[in-house]
Amino acid sequence: MGIELTSNLDSGNKTGNNKTESKKILKMRGITKIFPGVVANDGVDFEVNVGEIHGLLGENGAGKTTLMSILYGLYRPDRGEIIFDGEKVEFHSPGDAIRAGIGMVHQHFMLVSKMTALNNILLGYRTPKDPLMDYEWARKRIEKLSKTYGIEVDFDEQIINMSVGEQQRVEILKALFRDVKLLILDEPTSVLTPIETEKLFKALRRMSEEGLTVIFITHKLREALEVTDRITVLRRGKNVGTLITKDTNERDLARLMVGREVEMIIEKKRKESKEGEAVLRIEAVHARNDRGLPALKGINLIVKQGEILGLAGVSGNGQKELEEVIVGTRKIEKGRLIFNGEDITDYGVARRVALGISCIPEDRIETGMAPSLTVEENLILRDYVKFTKNGFMDFEVIEKHAEKLIDEFGIRTPSPKVAARTLSGGNIQRLIIARELSRNPLLLVASQPTRGLDVAGIEYVRKRLISFAEEGKAILLISEDLEEIMQLSDRIAVIYEGKIRGVFEREEADLEKIGILMSGGALEN
Amino acid sequence: MQIRIEKRLETPKIVYIIIPVASILASLLFVGVLLLAIGVNPLEAYGVMLSRAFGTKFGFTELFVKTAPIILTGLAVSIPLRAGLWNIGAEGQLYMGAFAASFVALYFSPPVIVLPLMVLFGLLAGMAWASIPGFLKAKFDLNEIISTLLLNYVAIYWVEYLVYGPMRGKEVYNFPYSDLFNDYAILPRFFGTRFHVGVIISFLIAIAIYILITKTSYGFAVKIVGSNPKAAEFAGISRKKIIISTMLIGGAIAGFAGMMEVSGLHLRLRAAVSPGYGYTGIPVALLARGNPLFVMVAAFLFGLLYVGGSAMQTTFGIPVAIVDVFQALVVLFIIGGDFFTRYSISFGDKGEKYEGEKG
Repeated sequence: MGIELTSNLDSGNKTGNNKTESKKILKMRGITKIFPGVVANDGVDFEVNVGEIHGLLGENGAGKTTLMSILYGLYRPDRGEIIFDGEKVEFHSPGDAIRAGIGMVHQHFMLVSKMTALNNILLGYRTPKDPLMDYEWARKRIEKLSKTYGIEVDFDEQIINMSVGEQQRVEILKALFRDVKLLILDEPTSVLTPIETEKLFKALRRMSEEGLTVIFITHKLREALEVTDRITVLRRGKNVGTLITKDTNERDLARLMVGREVEMIIEKKRKESKEGEAVLRIEAVHARNDRGLPALKGINLIVKQGEILGLAGVSGNGQKELEEVIVGTRKIEKGRLIFNGEDITDYGVARRVALGISCIPEDRIETGMAPSLTVEENLILRDYVKFTKNGFMDFEVIEKHAEKLIDEFGIRTPSPKVAARTLSGGNIQRLIIARELSRNPLLLVASQPTRGLDVAGIEYVRKRLISFAEEGKAILLISEDLEEIMQLSDRIAVIYEGKIRGVFEREEADLEKIGILMSGGALEN
Repeated sequence: MQIRIEKRLETPKIVYIIIPVASILASLLFVGVLLLAIGVNPLEAYGVMLSRAFGTKFGFTELFVKTAPIILTGLAVSIPLRAGLWNIGAEGQLYMGAFAASFVALYFSPPVIVLPLMVLFGLLAGMAWASIPGFLKAKFDLNEIISTLLLNYVAIYWVEYLVYGPMRGKEVYNFPYSDLFNDYAILPRFFGTRFHVGVIISFLIAIAIYILITKTSYGFAVKIVGSNPKAAEFAGISRKKIIISTMLIGGAIAGFAGMMEVSGLHLRLRAAVSPGYGYTGIPVALLARGNPLFVMVAAFLFGLLYVGGSAMQTTFGIPVAIVDVFQALVVLFIIGGDFFTRYSISFGDKGEKYEGEKG
């Protein structure tokens, strides 16, 4: 394997002056990684100081994950070198990286759900008494780590009974237990409540104080600004700048990321009249989740014409079940659904589709599309019956329909005839939005509509949703992103453990109140 | 030099053609090795196969006669396959169709309505047999591979029981046969050969099914279920209805194949109505990737094997079981070849596996 020394060493002049002298724990030089048809990393130089929290920022496909996967030994670079802790290294597997002192917490946790936290942390680790397990030794060690960094976990609890935030803490402890010097966190806040996020940031700062180095991958500008010391921005596989956090701001970062000015705040104009016809009435609805446990415990909600009703909550509190109950794929145990004055509780999916209920499902790829079908077929997935003549598919009309939507919604695809699975995540999202909005429905259930999208994609989707509501349609916006809820919603409801804990007009709502309700607390009057 | 396995972002269309062709060639090669092992020159053996099928009028019409039921069983597997279901039970559905048609032929009158009734009963019996696993799958999510496979034995032994027992003919000595059907219960034949009208009907059925599953909204719904059942549900398509209906259509076609075999070929009910056409339908459907037009092409290949297989037996004394070996190999190669639709292999240093960019 030939590794070339590249000459395009950027002299680091983008780096702030006062820290250039600091000791570097990591230098990645001229990293190039080419996948068939994609240059994921293009001569990236990336340097991290000892003990800093370094933000790695970039849009989808900018190459953040690839760069970190190379560092973590999941991929081998085509060109470039890695110097870690003063030594030139070549990692062939994550095992090599872990032994060298690099830990990574992935977006999707790698935990065994039926084992306790302690066992998960020890998984694959050789305690001093190997082959016997030395639980005493391990427990002491973990307790010490836990205390040092302020990361609290109930070690004897099974993962399955833990909140997402707690699971993440187990993952972090698992990495710390292996004596890492550098910890990589991939989008760690995407699953956390504001309070948990705050806790995580505290722990990160503690780590930094103790001399541990942290790389924090994110696309949330505000968080990057809040917690990091320096920020490196990637765009289209290139390092477009490393900045000192305190000298920069959201606008500059966004411009670097996207390569153009971005509207950072897209707010919906307040609906003029607070009274509007109720499009959807959810009346005391009960439903069970896939495991047969109660997931919705008497939900009452009204979504009115021309408004966006935001539903805030940490995922797993019944949002997905509520989405499915409205779409019609989940049975209602008790309660009623009234759509435009019509009781639709017992209607099937097809009938609800025909009445004008659209949905951007939370699981885009799992429920929103048929991956082996073409783009044009996916664009008629929910209305295919309308595209027939005497029972035969009308392929001409289908193609025209697809061409129109591809153009109107800017879906990037080589042709309407390619399998939808070949599209990127952002384009799949556009495809689904195009399909659901073009049906001209009365109600749109939008579940995590911007999750996984980059800054430009988010801007686009939010504008679409707003203009849709302004046409007089109703939107139920289910999102974990509080910022999004605050900016887009006319009213905000909070869900916790299958119940609505409060509904606010936008003016009355503030992050703190909502945050308390989201985590099961009560408001004092 | 290093071998690299890369995940494909996109599968080039050519791969879908190369895999079946390569699977067939590789199977021929392996069977060739087997032939060598028993002291037969494989080239000579394959030569005999081809000359038998294409060299004589009898062989050529026989090719069609053997291809026809394979087309039907290929369709019987293909249609549920498009919805993501494995119908391993075409063999049993065929036997039940043969049984029902024979029952009508032997015990019903008046003559004019016997043939139409035989068709109807053949279809219904195949449907009924396929409805059992279809219903169990839809209602209880019972694995259809197991249920269809096991029901085959029930059907095969049921027919055996009948021809050894209550339906055994009076003039067949001790053979496990029923009496010969009356003339009015026999499909018309042409050219003084065994080429019967059922062959033509089989091709027409394939074309009709092609139209049904590629041009109609029903076919579209089946395709969505096959691609992603959750998306289908989200689109308001009842997965259960699609499961049951594709199994019923598949069963009906296999049942018709059974009717055709007894009425067009054997002219009576007997044990071993089919030499395993129902199972042959599986590699045929796989080779054709569920497309009825390609089913016709793939069925020809196996028709050729059946015709040539008996020729090899008479010329070289090779057991006809060699056809089963070939069939099994094709299935293995196709399933193994699926790997290449998802991964590509390259040699050298460039390129590495790609698992998609996220975050």
